[in-house]
Amino acid sequence: MAESSNSDANSRKRRKIDPDSQTRWRSEAEQRIYSSKLMDALHHVRRPGSGGHDAVRDAADRVLAASARGRTRWSRAILTNRLSLRLAQINRKHKKAAKPSAGKSCSRKPAKKLPPVESKVKVLSRLVPGCRKVSLPNLLEETTDYIAALEMQVKAMTFLTGLLNAGAAAPA
Amino acid sequence: MNTGLPEMLHCLNSSTSENCEMSVLERQRSRLKQQQQQLSQNHPPIPYFNGNDHLAYSGFHVDQALSDLVLNGGAMKPDPGVEHHDFRRFMNSGSATTDFQMSSALPRTVSYTAAASVNSAPGKESCKKRKADRSPKIAAEEKKMKGCAEEESKITEQNSNSKSTTTTISTSANKNSKGASANGKKASDAPKADYIHVRARRGQATDSHSLAERVRREKISERMKYLQDLVPGCNKVTGKAGMLDEIINYVQSLQRQVEFLSMKLAAINPRLDFDIESYILKEMFPACPPAMEPDHSHLQFNTSVEEVSGSGLEMVVDPMDATLRRTISAPITAQQSFLNSSSLNQIQQVTWEDELRNLYSMEYQQGRSTFISQQITGFLEANHVKLEM
Repeated sequence: MAESSNSDANSRKRRKIDPDSQTRWRSEAEQRIYSSKLMDALHHVRRPGSGGHDAVRDAADRVLAASARGRTRWSRAILTNRLSLRLAQINRKHKKAAKPSAGKSCSRKPAKKLPPVESKVKVLSRLVPGCRKVSLPNLLEETTDYIAALEMQVKAMTFLTGLLNAGAAAPA
Repeated sequence: MNTGLPEMLHCLNSSTSENCEMSVLERQRSRLKQQQQQLSQNHPPIPYFNGNDHLAYSGFHVDQALSDLVLNGGAMKPDPGVEHHDFRRFMNSGSATTDFQMSSALPRTVSYTAAASVNSAPGKESCKKRKADRSPKIAAEEKKMKGCAEEESKITEQNSNSKSTTTTISTSANKNSKGASANGKKASDAPKADYIHVRARRGQATDSHSLAERVRREKISERMKYLQDLVPGCNKVTGKAGMLDEIINYVQSLQRQVEFLSMKLAAINPRLDFDIESYILKEMFPACPPAMEPDHSHLQFNTSVEEVSGSGLEMVVDPMDATLRRTISAPITAQQSFLNSSSLNQIQQVTWEDELRNLYSMEYQQGRSTFISQQITGFLEANHVKLEM
């Protein structure tokens, strides 16, 4: 793992993020912090009645990004671009309703780059928030951290769901 | 690198155009020094250090030695040649005479070609492989070196050769120092015995573009290895495309899970808020002291995320704790309610129920005030095991 630090010129700019991501997101302290913050956030989420789960999901993602302390690109993208992302989602929904698949297929048919690796890289970059125009090595790094964070998120949310289920049902 | 720094500082005194080469070679020299102190003793450097008065003479002497090197070809080992040459340059850094440096520049280039020819004679081992092992810092240095070399037109060709030699020297030095770091990266198997004999490879290896590509590819493969550890099932598939497929599927499945869970949480939330409001009225004050910390964290969170519609309920966490405590105090009802909760059955992982049941049974015995953190810890530990599968 000593070679994870790059050249001297770059080592100052780069932070060693690869080995840290797994240990960071899997630590219990992190999970505890996330769970408590998520609980706080959930109480503040006003269920507008419709799209309640989206609001919850956004809150969860935001809390997750906040826990990342801005060290990763995807976390920064989530925190700063939430409004634009939501707008994009709404637009996509409208577009889906209007044009089912015609528009998308037309734009994708002229395949400039056949290499399957390239297309998969693009798909992956679309999945990870804020990583569309990122080079491949950085994208992989962001993906590593993102996957670890998502795992933690799933764990914590599952736990909270169970807790709240029991908590809400008992006194009722 | 750290060992090369003082030498680099030495080099800063001398002319700029030769700095780059000298810096790299100074580093080589320091490495070779570490590894082969026997040879250095065989060729005593002491006479070279005796003041600057004898520089001309000693330089001349060394030139003779170098010419011998050129003439003898493979007879003389290249290492002493490099050593001589390094020591001479070391001397040069002390002196300020540019004339001497210029005169020494020629023999230096001669020695480079000599070294190159000598090294290519025993057999052209591929430098490609060692490029792969080389640390990127050397790539940066070599690029720097190449940039410096372009200033002097006459040395450019020799520089390309010298670069190949320096890379091989450095990579061989690296290999020796690092040990068995991935010898089998490329198809060609260089003999592992003696890396000090520099083997030059012309062409592909010396191109700065291919060097950069090599570095980039290394980075990518390294990151892919990390991802392989992270994504389950990635070990079976090899190759970038397959692994990327797995990674994409995994990320999508994780995101879908988050969606499901958020839907569930959204379903639960309204119920909670009704309860919470009633609890705020009843049970706020007894629950205040132990819950001061969550308030702080939650206030911080509020400031950081402004999109969350601030309802201003600061004591909301306390009723949550109260409800949770109440669940613990009513064991049977909690279990039953949990088992009867239909929403939970929608989740595929039925094992979560078992875990929670165990958890609650654990908590009955303990009954501490900080049970939330404990629950989370214990539960998530168990979940960790499950998720790993």
